[in-house]
Amino acid sequence: MQIKKIIEESKRINNEFHYFNTISEELATKQSENPEPGKLKGVVVSVKDCICVKDVESRAGSKILSRYNPVFDATVIEKIKQAGGIIIGKTSQDAFGFGSFSTNIGLGMEVPLNPFDKERACGGSSGGAAGFTQKASFRHIALSESTGGSIVCPASFCGIVGLCPTYGRVSRYGLMDYANSLDKIGPMAKNVSDIALMMEIIAGFDDKESTTLNEKVPKYSDFVGKEIKGLKIGIIKEAFGKGVDEEVKKKVLDGIKVLESKGAKAEEVSLPLVEKYGVACYYLVAMCEASTNLAKLCGMRYGKHEKLEGNFNEYFSKVRGLNFNDESKRRIIVGTFARMAGYRDAYYIKAMKVRTKIIDEYKKLFKKYDVLVSPTMPVVAPKFNDIEKLTPLQNYMMDIMTVGPNLAGLPHMTVPVGFKDKMPVGLMLIADHLKEENLIMFGAKLENGL
Amino acid sequence: MDFKSDVVIGIECHVELKTDSKLFCGCKRAGEADEKPNSRTCEVCLGHPGSKPVLNKKAVEYAIKLALATKSKIAPDLIFSRKSYFYPDMAKNYQISQYEIPLATAGKIKLESGKEIGLTRIHMEEDPAALVHPAGMEKSPFVLVDYNRSGDPLVEVVTEPDMESPEEARDFMKQLITILEYLEIFDVDSCIIKADANISIKESGYVRAEVKNITGFKEIERALKYEVVRQKKEVADGKKLIQETRAWDSDKGYTFSLRTKEVEAEYGYIIDPDLVKVELSKDWIDSIKEKMPELADEKLAKFTGKHKIAEDTAKVLAKDKELANVFEAVAASVNPDLASKWVRRELPRCLNFVRKKFSEVELSEKHLIDLLKLIEAKKITESVGQKILEKLVENPFDVNEYVKKEKLEIVSDSNELEKICSDAIKEAPKAVEEYKSGKEKALHFIVGIVMKKTKGKASPPEVLSILKKLIK
Repeated sequence: MQIKKIIEESKRINNEFHYFNTISEELATKQSENPEPGKLKGVVVSVKDCICVKDVESRAGSKILSRYNPVFDATVIEKIKQAGGIIIGKTSQDAFGFGSFSTNIGLGMEVPLNPFDKERACGGSSGGAAGFTQKASFRHIALSESTGGSIVCPASFCGIVGLCPTYGRVSRYGLMDYANSLDKIGPMAKNVSDIALMMEIIAGFDDKESTTLNEKVPKYSDFVGKEIKGLKIGIIKEAFGKGVDEEVKKKVLDGIKVLESKGAKAEEVSLPLVEKYGVACYYLVAMCEASTNLAKLCGMRYGKHEKLEGNFNEYFSKVRGLNFNDESKRRIIVGTFARMAGYRDAYYIKAMKVRTKIIDEYKKLFKKYDVLVSPTMPVVAPKFNDIEKLTPLQNYMMDIMTVGPNLAGLPHMTVPVGFKDKMPVGLMLIADHLKEENLIMFGAKLENGL
Repeated sequence: MDFKSDVVIGIECHVELKTDSKLFCGCKRAGEADEKPNSRTCEVCLGHPGSKPVLNKKAVEYAIKLALATKSKIAPDLIFSRKSYFYPDMAKNYQISQYEIPLATAGKIKLESGKEIGLTRIHMEEDPAALVHPAGMEKSPFVLVDYNRSGDPLVEVVTEPDMESPEEARDFMKQLITILEYLEIFDVDSCIIKADANISIKESGYVRAEVKNITGFKEIERALKYEVVRQKKEVADGKKLIQETRAWDSDKGYTFSLRTKEVEAEYGYIIDPDLVKVELSKDWIDSIKEKMPELADEKLAKFTGKHKIAEDTAKVLAKDKELANVFEAVAASVNPDLASKWVRRELPRCLNFVRKKFSEVELSEKHLIDLLKLIEAKKITESVGQKILEKLVENPFDVNEYVKKEKLEIVSDSNELEKICSDAIKEAPKAVEEYKSGKEKALHFIVGIVMKKTKGKASPPEVLSILKKLIK
């Protein structure tokens, strides 16, 4: 398809569903004129708003970063450009990734609507990325980001594939931080092959990013179609308990049957610590880190400015008061509280310790199992007027399935396994650190067998 | 508090390390003299969203050197934390610093008097930007921010409250700078050294004032002397001192209150999740140990012990790394006593004349050795030697050849010398007269004439004895 048509279609979809904060028409057109020869030649790539693209407004979904045009490309963007990918624009999200439905968008922005039902949410925080991946008629891969489930949640709600890699597998250089020890950049696509392809391009060591792993990147595409006969699946018992939609459970169990029919062996396993402490631990770590990351946004060097008045404290407070949304303020306040002297031992330090225990709990299981399986989300995409009724805590509990692997830095992937009332259901595969290829192998078999 | 002395002082000192690049990015640490504000910056030291820090290992090595030199206990891992507070000089509104586990603890630095000052901790951190107050700190209605300094590598050295006078505080700073220079991790010209001092007096029951941002060791003595007087006067005037933070205005020579409400500072430290823990392995530390130079204390012991030179001269030499090294090199080939006198006095005199350091002139130890060997063998006089050294500093040459070419050897032919002496006696009848009437000193005038005639090539004691013989 010609770039002009691609841009037209993207705009048309965006007008109806609000999947973009910025469409980078100029950059995409320019890139198409002289396409780089590479693995992604001519493939359209959308980028979550929180990943820096040089000279393209990048706001992480927040008004406070209005008119912030980064002076540099994120490492992943450099790699995609070199591989010939065409950057179509910055996809909508919960501001800074703070949400599970993409309803906590920046002030003055528009909520992305579910591609299957406009009265329902796309999921979050990478809502725009998932919705657009479902809607685009041309070949497209989305670059998204997960801190506690922001890739697999919206991918599941929008009926597409989404992979969140091992922490440190993909460079975060140029990713505007939510919680640095949890953030991962990963792809979304309509099929597992495109996920594998994008992983080959973006994974790897980066000397500009201290937490990247210096490990060889496998040729993930080779694992599409590989047999899973004799490999072991652990079915996470707690993920099929109370509060999980019966129809969702059934679709996921059907998916497991498909995998068993291909020769994999499944049995039940238990992750009691993850169930009991996962959400609390995740939100403490995430909010503590987030509250420090957001401190730099004060209307002084870049982003939204206000009229200069008062002393610096009054000015910073005014900028932040006027331009952060409610959820951002909530997380700054909670995160700052949890790391204050007198509270940090009880909250921040304890959460760090619990995190280590949770990692141990997973590591024990991976001695025996090649993948773990659960529903990605306990429900299908909810209606906006139901979301409004949720308290913040109920909201956070939506992440019960996804926070575990995110806290432990484990790679995980959602694959669509059918519908409930015309809304998609996702099955989540979790693998051991640096075992993304297991996800690709199992995911491809599942995709094929349905 | 169980303090006993009249004055109690503790210091927190920030030292900029002499690395090529900043602590967490590739920007140059030191700029050109005429650099523009905010020109030496990148997305990392400006704190742009998405940028990430990468640790400069050289800076860690430098900090470890300081920890070793002060006999501190080094932590097993290097862990950085975020120290959060809002201030316009902060690129990220948090500073990457160290908290729970600093790089090193429990070190010590010895003062000139031999008294040891305990070091509570040494930790690494990044420098914030510079704030420029165009109309002075107290009056300026606005402030400019220059990020060229943002991200420079600093070590913070925190002492125990072990100092008992402003003079001791000054000496502490001096000793610290000597160590830093010996380690070659600090450069007086391009590195900033700043101190915050906590000071209290007995009369007030040791109510602390923290004096911020004192630059240099002379300033610390001035600032603290001012504080002692101020605090004593306030107490004498019947005022009750309160715990407060004060700033030192070096131009006006006084401190002024910045804030009195001393709530415990709340920095909400968390471990910086963008930086991985760096193991300070035994192997690494051992390899740094191997590269450690001898320090001033060791030099002093060696100079007085092995070389047997006078203690006051040994102290002067040991305190200056450059002179100490020159002395050692020279003393290996010539008499240490002669070498020490020349390296202590003549060399600095000549260097001072051209306003340069030894490292900045082409003169080498070899030149000095050649020169002093000639003096030692009485082939040239000391005054000829001084003149040669003056020339050497400006533009070095082969000393032996020069002496031969310019015929500067001591006039050792006694017939010739006698002839010159008798000429001189004829030129100064008045002095001869005076000498004969008992004025011993009058002969020095005639010695002067002889020296002039020989262009300093005669040995003054020899001339003196010839003169005495002739006049008799």
